[in-house]
This record gives sequence, C-alpha cells and structure tokens, in this order.
Amino acid sequence: MSLMTMIVKMSEGLGKTCAIFFLTLLFSLPLGMIVALLRMSKLKVVSAVTRFFITVLRGTPLMLQLLAVTYGPYYLFGTTVARNKLIPVVIAFAINYAAYFAEIYRGGIESISIGQYEAATVLGYSRAQTFLRIILPQVVKRIMPSVTNEVVTLVKDTSIAFTVSYQEMFTIGKQIANSQTSFMPFLVAGVFYYLFNAIVDWLMGRIEKRLDYYR
Amino acid sequence: MTDEKLNTAQEPAAPDILEIRSLQKSFDGQCVLSDISLEVERGNVVSVIGPSGSGKSTLLRCAAFLETADGGDILYDGQYALRDGVYAPKAELNRFRRRFGLVFQNFQLFPHYSVLKNVSEPPMLQGEDREEVRERAVALLKKMGLEGKENAYPYQLSGGQQQRVAIARALAMRPEILYFDEPTSALDPELTGEVLKVIRQLAEEKMTMVVVTHEMPFAKAVSNRVIFMAGGVIVEQGDPRAVLDDPQEERTRQFLRVFDRA
Repeated sequence: MSLMTMIVKMSEGLGKTCAIFFLTLLFSLPLGMIVALLRMSKLKVVSAVTRFFITVLRGTPLMLQLLAVTYGPYYLFGTTVARNKLIPVVIAFAINYAAYFAEIYRGGIESISIGQYEAATVLGYSRAQTFLRIILPQVVKRIMPSVTNEVVTLVKDTSIAFTVSYQEMFTIGKQIANSQTSFMPFLVAGVFYYLFNAIVDWLMGRIEKRLDYYR
Repeated sequence: MTDEKLNTAQEPAAPDILEIRSLQKSFDGQCVLSDISLEVERGNVVSVIGPSGSGKSTLLRCAAFLETADGGDILYDGQYALRDGVYAPKAELNRFRRRFGLVFQNFQLFPHYSVLKNVSEPPMLQGEDREEVRERAVALLKKMGLEGKENAYPYQLSGGQQQRVAIARALAMRPEILYFDEPTSALDPELTGEVLKVIRQLAEEKMTMVVVTHEMPFAKAVSNRVIFMAGGVIVEQGDPRAVLDDPQEERTRQFLRVFDRA
C-alpha cells in the first residue's frame, strides 16, 4: 500500500476524530461548570459526593472509563452494545473532561477576590448578575491557559477511541499498520495530530489575545 | 385646629438617615463589636478612627450588610433593616441597599469593564434610562477630574484615579449616604490628596458620609463628628476638635500620641 493510499484512508477517519473532539467540548465545557458549582455547593453532602466522582474520573484511565461506558451496560443489564460507538465515546469523553474542566473552573472562580462579589452586591447586582457579568468573564480570562492545555490533550486523547473500534483516524491507522506490518500509519497519525494541535494552538492564542484588553 | 397644631408639634423630627443601636458582632466567639450605638444626621460627615482591629471597618461593613450582626438594630431613615438581631426579608434589604454606597479600600473596580461601564452599568441594571445614566456617569467622572478617561480600563489608571472612579460608581447609584472604608490606605502617599480632595468637595455639597480613616488632619477638617473606636467599643465621640485635640479618654490620648510622634 502506498503512503498516499494510507493518508487518504486515514483522512476518511478524520471526520470521526473531529466529531469526538467537538462533541466532547460541546458537552464537557458546560457540564464542567455544573460540576464545579456542585463541587462548591454549601451543602456538604453535595460537594463531598461531587468531589468523590471527580477523584474517580481523574484517578482512573480514560480508556477504562470508555470501556465501562461502552460494554458496562451489556455486562450489567444484558443490553446490546451500541452499534454507533460515537455515542459511548462522547459520553465517556464528555464526563471525563467535565471533571477536569470542573476543577479548572473551580480554581478560576476561587481566585476572584471576595471584594468583587461584595462590590457587586452593594451596587445592587443579583447573585446571577454578579456571577454572569462580573465573575465569569474574569474567570474565563484566567483559565484560558489551563483550558488550552486540556483541549490539546483532548486532540490526542481522541485516539483512545480505538479501544472500542470506533473508526476514527487512529483506529484506521492501527488497522492498516497491522495488515501491512508497517510503521508508516503511526507516523502519518503523528503528523495529523500535530497539525490539528497547531490549529488549536493558533485559535486559542487568538482567543487569549482578544481577552488581553484588560489585566 | 388646636388639635392639629398639637399633633404637628408632637411629631418627631425627621429620622436620621442611619441609626445604629447596641450593635453586637463576634467572629468565632471573639467579640469584635460590642454595644455600638450611633446616629448619622443628613448632610453630616462622621469619621471613624481607631487602631487596626478596633472594629471600625466591621462596623461599616455591618451597616452595608456585608457582615451579619448578631444583635442590635440598624435603621435607615427610621425603618428597621435589623431589629434586635433579626434582619428584614431579603427583598427589603435590597431596597435598603439602594440607600447607601460603599467605597472600598482597594477600589474593587470591575477590571473587565471600561471606566464608563463601571460607573453606568449598576444603575442601568436597576432599570434606569440608559441615556440618562450615561450622561450622569460622564458628569460624575468629570466632577472626579476624570474627563477623557471614560474608555480607559482600570489597570491603565493610577490608584488615586481608580479610587475616584470607585467614588463616581458609588455616586451614580444616587445613595443617600456614602460609606468609605479606609479610602486612601491602599494609595501611595502622593496620591491620597486627590482622593481626600473629592471627598472634601462632597462634604461641602452636604453629602452624608461615614469615613473610616487614618487621616487625622482630614478627619478634623472635614467631619462634623469623630468617633474613636478601640477593642470593639466606641471609646469617645464628639466634635472633631474636641476628640482629636482634647480627648477625654486615656485610650484616645494613647492612640493619638502615636500619630503625633510620626
């Protein structure tokens, strides 16, 4: 098989790689905020339970979580394994990344001085207005570098979908590598991820720049 | 006819804008405010002085509902915000909040907002007319000597300018009484003057103010009354000259000596 054929075949999986990437961000970014707010809840039970789930999600491999989400229902309830693997992949990824984002959000929210809340309260801002208008915009700016880190990691983590044979770029590459006994597909995959992340880096850099209008 | 006259004669004088009675506050069992009572008349400036940890900031923060008092009364314009240690319902407290403004030691401007937005957003969120608020904000900034700074961001301003923005922001809400919590303590010495000047100007315009401060000459020159606090109690209060030049209590003398030496 020529290198060109390999590249073309693997490119066909890029759409699915992107699907994992964008859908995971779409769900995990907001879900992370909910988890962060639960984690910071004044109700001890709520924050303790949330904290426990975060430690589990951050303390076990994403690969294991993906296998659990994909095949767990079959072993537990005898239900059939989803034919479209994108669903379990996105569920596992979104939950896992939400746990990481939650901790980033929490760090950002807790880094805003209490005086900002007090100033807003005295000026008649409601709790929701204070959070959405005063706190959140400042949090977004502060956490951008950490979020960029996670997003870059996510690009590479999409390859973990090969464990459940979801036909994304890396899974196809691995299959070609096996059938052709060639290392080339892995090199191609490496270049793809590198280029993908170059775009991510550039985009996140632009967002950070846009938030640069204040300190 | 005579009855009517009698009634008007018996009617009490207009209530003070702020009245605090026997205010109590402790942190973790440690008493920080004990039996604090004071009134602030409309148009008066009251300075609160005292060593750090004396409870003067806590007192101001209690009046602004940023700290929860454990006992006593807080009345605005004769209406109870706190009665015998029990606060009025939340909606009512929000209405009381509109009566006062607070200027913080470290400004607490919103860094992601331009100067103009810092000053104009709060009244706009209260549903006031946007154009009217904008004009008011521009006028206030001009009055604070910040003409042309409307589109600047807080980080581009000096500390003294930032504090004057904070004062404009508080005034834009048209409070009946303005609280200052050590407004010049975070400023370099050469910048305190410009902030004290605008406060003095407000005093001349009969703005009602309570100022927690360490600036003794300012307190003496501007206030109608000085309150000296120490150890969570009001040790002495009265005419600024009387308290600062001829204190009756040993604790006050001791405190003021430190300033004389400096």
